[in-house]
Amino acid sequence: MRWFILIVMLLGVMVLAGVGHRGQKFTSRPIEIFPDMDRQFKLKTQKPSEFFADGSGSRKPVAGTVPIGFAVAGDGGPAEFTFSHGPEYASTGMIGEYFGDGFPTEYPVDEALIERGRERFKINCSMCHGLSGNGVGIVSKYWTLPPTANLLDSRVQAFPDGQIFWTITHGKGLMGPYNGTIAVRDRWAIVSYVRALQKTAQP
Amino acid sequence: MANLFPRWTNELPLKAVVCVAALGGIVSGLVAYTATPKYTRVGYMPEQPIPFDHSLHAQQLGMDCRYCHSFVEQSSHSNLPADQVCWNCHGPGKVKPDSPKLQALREAMDESSEDYTGRPVAWVQIHETPDYAYFNHSAHVNRGVSCVECHGQVNEMKVVYHAKPLSMSFCLDCHRNSEKVLRPLDQITNLDWKAEDVDKDAFYAYLADKTGKGVEDLKKADSHKTFDRLLIGGHLKEAWNVHPPQDCTACHR
Repeated sequence: MRWFILIVMLLGVMVLAGVGHRGQKFTSRPIEIFPDMDRQFKLKTQKPSEFFADGSGSRKPVAGTVPIGFAVAGDGGPAEFTFSHGPEYASTGMIGEYFGDGFPTEYPVDEALIERGRERFKINCSMCHGLSGNGVGIVSKYWTLPPTANLLDSRVQAFPDGQIFWTITHGKGLMGPYNGTIAVRDRWAIVSYVRALQKTAQP
Repeated sequence: MANLFPRWTNELPLKAVVCVAALGGIVSGLVAYTATPKYTRVGYMPEQPIPFDHSLHAQQLGMDCRYCHSFVEQSSHSNLPADQVCWNCHGPGKVKPDSPKLQALREAMDESSEDYTGRPVAWVQIHETPDYAYFNHSAHVNRGVSCVECHGQVNEMKVVYHAKPLSMSFCLDCHRNSEKVLRPLDQITNLDWKAEDVDKDAFYAYLADKTGKGVEDLKKADSHKTFDRLLIGGHLKEAWNVHPPQDCTACHR
C-alpha cells in the first residue's frame, strides 16, 4: 500500500507537471479529442485547398466569365471594376472620360447615408486624414512625407463628387485603393460625409 | 493442510478496491480537467507569418476592428484582410516598409522585390469551430454582441491567443442568457466598453424610439434598479426582439 501511494504520488507529480494548467499559452495546433468530422474536406472561406493545383481555396473567376453582380463593360470584356455593379456612374464616379458631379440616383443623400458615411469614415479614413478630415491622423506621427491630403482645403472642396469617389476606389499618390474593402454604397456615403465635414469646417 | 493464504491476504480485496477507486478517481478528474476546450483550446497562440501586434494597431493607434476585418457585418465569416489592406499603410514609402517583420507581406505584394511570390500571407487560424458548427459573425455583431465576448481583449494582445473556450456550452450559455452580453450597436468594436459609459438619457430615448413607450415611463420603471450591464442588455433584448435559437439546427445543418 505504501508503495502504491508513493508510485501514484510520483506519477501524479509527473503528469501534473506535463499537463500544466488551463489557459497556459502554447503554439502547437490544439488537439481534438473526438475529431469526428471536425475537419471536413470541403471548400472553406479563406482557407487553402488541396483540391486545386495552386493550393488556394479562394478562386478567381474563370477567364471570360463574369461573377453575378458584376456587369460587363461596354466593349464586351469583363468589367474592370471590382466590388461594384458595373460601368455606370454610380460604380465609377465617371461620366465618359470625366469625373461626374452630384450623387447618383441609386444613392440619394439623406441623413442615413451621411450617418453611414460618418461611421465608415471613422473606420477607414480617419487613420490618415484625421477624424475631422484635416489630414492629420494618427498615421502622420509615423510617416513624414508627403503629408496626407487635407480634405477640408479648397483644392479638395473643388473636386467633383465623382472624383472623391474615384479616389476612394482607386487611391491616389501614396493612398492605396479601397475598392476591395469599402462597398460602392459606403464609398458614396463617405463622399457625402466628407462634403458635410467641408461645409461645417471653419474657413 | 497449512494455511494456503498468509494473513496479509485478508486485506487484499479491500486494498485492491481502494487502489482501483483511487486510480479511477484520479483519471476521471484528469480527464474532466483536460478533455475540454477550456484546456485544449484556450491559450492557443500560434506563431504567425507576420508578428502582427493587435495592441499596437487597435489600442495605441485606435484603429477600428473593421478596418481590416471589413466584412464582419455582412458576412458569416469575419475576413482576414486582403494583403492589399496591409499594403495600404506598409507599402513602399509608407510606414516601416523595410521592416524585416513584413517579409511575408513583401513576398505577397511587392512585385519589384526579388522574393516576390504573389502568394497571400498564410495567417494561422486561431479560433476555429468544428466544420459542422456554423457560426455567423454578421448575425451577432449586428445584434449587439461584441467581438470581445468570444475573442477576449484582442485589443490588449501583442500576440493573439485563444482566450475563450468556444465550446458548445459556451455558445449555449449566451443563447440562454443573451442579456448578459448585449450592448448598444455603436459600441460593438469598442472592446473596452463599460456599462457606466452609457449615456442614460440617450439610451432611454433610443429605447423609447424602438419600443414606442414613453421615456419617462421607462425611466420610472427602472428607478429602483441599478443601471448596469444586465439592465441594458435586458432592455436591448426586448427592444430588438432577440430570441437566440437553442435548437440543434441553429448551428448544425
